Amino acid sequence: MKDLDQYWRYSFVGALLCAAAIGIVLRIMSIQADPQRLKQLEAEIEQVTKVQKTIVPARGQIYDRWGNLLAGNKKVYEIGVELQDVEDPQFIAHAVSMIVPNIKYEYVFSMASLKPSPSAVYATLTRFAPQEAVDKLELLKKQLKEDYVANGKDAPSLRGLVYYPHLERYYPEKALASNILGFVSRDNQGYFGVEERFNELLSGKARTVLVPTDPNRVEEMPEVPNGASLVLTIEREVQLAMEEIIDDAVAETGSASGTLVVMNPKTGEIIAMATTPRIDLNEYWRLEEVFPPGSNIPFNRAVGQAYEPGSVFKPLTMAIALDTGAVTPDTVFVDTGSIEVGGIFIVNWNRGAWGPQDMTGCLQHSLNVCLAWVATQIGPNNFYRGLQAFGLGHLTGVDLAGEVAGRLKAPGDNDWFASDLGTNSFGQGIAVTPVQMAAAISAIANNGVMMAPKIVRSVINDGYQHDIEQRVIGMPIKPETARTLSEMLARSLEKESSDALVPGYRVAGKTGTAEIPIPGQGYTSNQTNASFVGWGPVDDPQFLVYVWLEKPSTSPWGSVVAAPVFRRAVEKLVIYLNLPPDDVRRRLASSN
Amino acid sequence: MKAQNFISTWRHFDFWLLGAVVLLVIFGITMIRSAVAENIELVELNLVQRQAIFAIGGLVLMFIVSAIDYRLWASISRPLYIITVVLLGALTIAGAALFGSARWFDTGVILIQPSEIAKIVLILVLADFFTRNMSKIHNLSFVALSFGFAMLIVVPILLQPNLSTSIVMMVLWFALLWASGLRIRHLLMFIGAGILAPIVAFPFLVDYQQRRILNFLFPDPNARHGDIYNIQQALISIGSGGLLGQGYGQGTQVQLRFLKVRWSDFIFSAMSHEFGFIGVLLVLLVLLFVILRCLRAARLASDTFGALIAYGVATMITFQAMVNIGVNLNLMPATGLTLPFVSYGGSSLLSSLIGIGLVESVVLRHRALDF
Repeated sequence: MKDLDQYWRYSFVGALLCAAAIGIVLRIMSIQADPQRLKQLEAEIEQVTKVQKTIVPARGQIYDRWGNLLAGNKKVYEIGVELQDVEDPQFIAHAVSMIVPNIKYEYVFSMASLKPSPSAVYATLTRFAPQEAVDKLELLKKQLKEDYVANGKDAPSLRGLVYYPHLERYYPEKALASNILGFVSRDNQGYFGVEERFNELLSGKARTVLVPTDPNRVEEMPEVPNGASLVLTIEREVQLAMEEIIDDAVAETGSASGTLVVMNPKTGEIIAMATTPRIDLNEYWRLEEVFPPGSNIPFNRAVGQAYEPGSVFKPLTMAIALDTGAVTPDTVFVDTGSIEVGGIFIVNWNRGAWGPQDMTGCLQHSLNVCLAWVATQIGPNNFYRGLQAFGLGHLTGVDLAGEVAGRLKAPGDNDWFASDLGTNSFGQGIAVTPVQMAAAISAIANNGVMMAPKIVRSVINDGYQHDIEQRVIGMPIKPETARTLSEMLARSLEKESSDALVPGYRVAGKTGTAEIPIPGQGYTSNQTNASFVGWGPVDDPQFLVYVWLEKPSTSPWGSVVAAPVFRRAVEKLVIYLNLPPDDVRRRLASSN
Repeated sequence: MKAQNFISTWRHFDFWLLGAVVLLVIFGITMIRSAVAENIELVELNLVQRQAIFAIGGLVLMFIVSAIDYRLWASISRPLYIITVVLLGALTIAGAALFGSARWFDTGVILIQPSEIAKIVLILVLADFFTRNMSKIHNLSFVALSFGFAMLIVVPILLQPNLSTSIVMMVLWFALLWASGLRIRHLLMFIGAGILAPIVAFPFLVDYQQRRILNFLFPDPNARHGDIYNIQQALISIGSGGLLGQGYGQGTQVQLRFLKVRWSDFIFSAMSHEFGFIGVLLVLLVLLFVILRCLRAARLASDTFGALIAYGVATMITFQAMVNIGVNLNLMPATGLTLPFVSYGGSSLLSSLIGIGLVESVVLRHRALDF
C-alpha cells in the first residue's frame, strides 16, 4: 500500500515543518535582538496600561480659634460597575438599590446591563455612598462567595461591582457658623464664606498623572500634598451663644432677620458672626429652600447686605467733628426742633425741640437736628474725607466671599445733593454693611486705630502654621478724639440708663433706628432697621458688638429691641472671654 | 507464549516519543506553577494540581489506547462517525452556554471540551475514509465528497462557535488529503480557494472573531483591555527574556501578571521570559522531536490507515503548536489554540495524549524487519 509517493509527501511536510521551526527561532531572535522595538513596545504598553487620573488632594480642614473642627472630610465611596465583568445585572441592581440610599433599581439595572465597548468600560452608579452601605455590600459579597463555594455557579453574583473611596466635605457642627464657613459642592468647589474665599488654598493643587491600571502597581500613585487647613478667629462656643441670642431676638421682636458681629477692636479679629438664616451645610442642596432664588437674601448678611444704619452712624459724624475741631464735647447746640440742610428740613425722632444740648446730650438723645448741624459745621469736604477714612464705601477685605462695598455718596457724584450732608450725618442715605460699621466704630474703641476685620487666624500648610498678621487699615481719628468720644458714648448710655448697660462692666455704645427707604418712593413705610453698636470695657476694650435687627415688629426702636440684645451678648461674652468685672480687673492690675 | 507475544509487541514501543512527551508535560506543569504563583485566585483554582491529574489520567489513557490495535478503529469507523456527528449536533443545540459558547460539556465531574475529542475521531474516520478510497483520490468529485464528509463534524464545532478548532479540523482534512496523494493541480486549486475563503467568510464571522483578525491586521493603539495588549505583553515578555531568561519564578512579566492567560494561550511567552532563548529552543527541539517521531511512526506504519493516523496526529500537534507560537510571536491573529502538552487545559492535554497513544499503537504493530 505504501508507495514512494507517500514518502516524499511525508518528507515534504517534515521539511516544511523544519522550515517553520527555523522561522520561529529566527523570529524569536529578531524580537530579542531589537532593543529599540522593545522600548517602543514598552512605551506603547505604558500608554494602554496607564490612564490619566486627576488626584484630588484632601481638602484642608477648618478649625475654630481653639482647634475645634468646623469643616472636615469624611470617606465616602464611588460605586460603579466594570461592564465587562458584570454577570448578573439584575442582582447587582437589586442589591445596590436595597443597600445604598437614594438609588433606584431601574437606574442601576440600566447602567449595569450596558454593553461593554472600547469606549464604555465602566459606569458610575453613585459618587457618594456612605461607608455603611459599602460595608454591607462587602458583607454580601463575602456571603455570596461562601454560597458559591457551597452551591456552585448558580448562585447570584455581584461580579463587576466595584467601589472606590474618596473624601467628601462634612460639617460636624451642621448649621453652626454656616454663614461664615460656606460649603463645598460635590464637584469640590467652595461656595460662600471661607470655603469660597479660600477655595484654592483649601482644595490644594490637584495633579493629573498617568497611573497604572494594573492593581498591583497602584503603590506608584504619587503623593499629592493636602490642601491647607485654616484656623479661624471664631470661637465656637461664643458663636453658638451669639447665634442663640440673635435667633431668640429675631423671634421675640418679630424681626425679618438678625445679625450680630463680635469683634476684638484691638486686633480686628471677628470672634463671632451670627446671622439669620443659616443652613445645615451637610445638606447644602437645600440652599434654595432657605435662600429662595430671587429673594436676594445674602448668605451672610454681616458682609453681604448693605443697609442704611441710622443713628449708630452718629458716633462717626461726631468723631469727625471732634477730630477736625468743628465742635468740642462742651459745644452747646440749641435744638429748635428742625434744621434746614440743602433745602430739606430735618426733624428729630420724636419731632420735638430739645433746647440747649451739649454734644453728649445730642448723642444721648440721638438728635438728628443736632447732628445735621454738626455736619454743617464740619463741612462736606472734611465730612466725606472723614467717612472715607473710616473705610465706608469700600470693601473691608474681611476673609469671606460675597462682601459688598455699600454706598457712600460724596460731593461730585451725580446723585449727591447738598441735603445728603444732613441726612448722612445720622446714617440715612448711606448704605453700609454690619462688618463695615463694626470696623469703622472699632477705631473709636481702639484709640483711633482701625484694624482690618479678619476671620482667618492662621493657615496650616505642610505641617507649618502661618499666623495671619493683624493689619492696621487706617487711623481715621486722633487717639484723644477716640478716647473723648468713647467717654461721651459711655456716659450717654449711663445717663439714659439704657437697656444696653451691663452690670459690672462699663460699656460705650449707640443705638440706631433707621427708616427703610422703598426704592422710588422714599421713606414711606414705617418699617425700620434697629441697630446697636457698643464696646467695652471702655478703658480697655476687649469686644465690640454690632447688632442689627431687620424690620422688628414689636417695636421700631433700636433702643428697645437692639440694645437688650447687646446686653445679653455682652453678658455671655464676658464669661466666654474670661473678662473680670471692671473693679476686679483694676484691683488685680493695681495689686500686680 | 502470550507473554512472549506481549513482549515482542511492546518492544517496539517508542520510548523516545513517550519520554519526550512526558518531558513536555512535566515542563508544562512546572511552567503553569510559575505562571499562577502569587495569584491567590488562580492558586485557589488548583490549576497545577488539575493539570497533573489530567496528565496522569491522560498517560493512562495513552497506554490503553496504544494497547488497543488501531485497526479496531477502522472496523468501527462508520458507527463512530455517525455517533460523533449526532452527538456534536445535539450538543451544539443543548450544550451548556459557558463563556459565551457551547464549547464545554459538563460531565458532572469535569468539564470536557467535546471538540477536543472530536479532533481525534476526525483523524480516525478520515484516515479510514481515505484508506478505503485511495484509488479515487485523483478524482476531484471524491475530494469534494471527503470535504463534505469532514464538514459534518466541522460545522457543529464552527457553530459552537469555535473557529480555531474547526480550522484545525480543516487542516487535518487537508493534510490527510495531501498525504493520501492529492494531485498538485488540485492542491493549487485549494491554495487559491484557501486564499479566497477567508475573504469571503469574513462577514460571517462572529463579532469577537472579526475583531481579533482586524486587531491583528490593523492594531488599534488606543485599545485598553484589548487583544493587542496581550500580544504586546507577550512580545515584551519574549524580548526581555534574553538568552537565558529571567529565571524560573523570577520573570517580572509573568509574576506581576502583565501577561494575560499566561498559563495557557501565552505560556510560550512566559516560558521565553523566564527561560530565555535557550530554554525555548530546547522546548521547541523536544516538540519537534515529538512531531518527527510521529512522522517516523507514519513512515514505519504497516498499512496506510496507520500511517494516516500517525500523520494526522503529527499534523494536529504541529498545527496547534505553530499557531500558538505564531500568536505569541505576533505572526498570527489571537486564537484559543493551546501549545500541545505544555499549556494548561485538561481536554486539550487528554486529546494530545490519546493522539500519542494512537501513534504508539501504530508503532507497536508495524511489521518491522525483525524476527
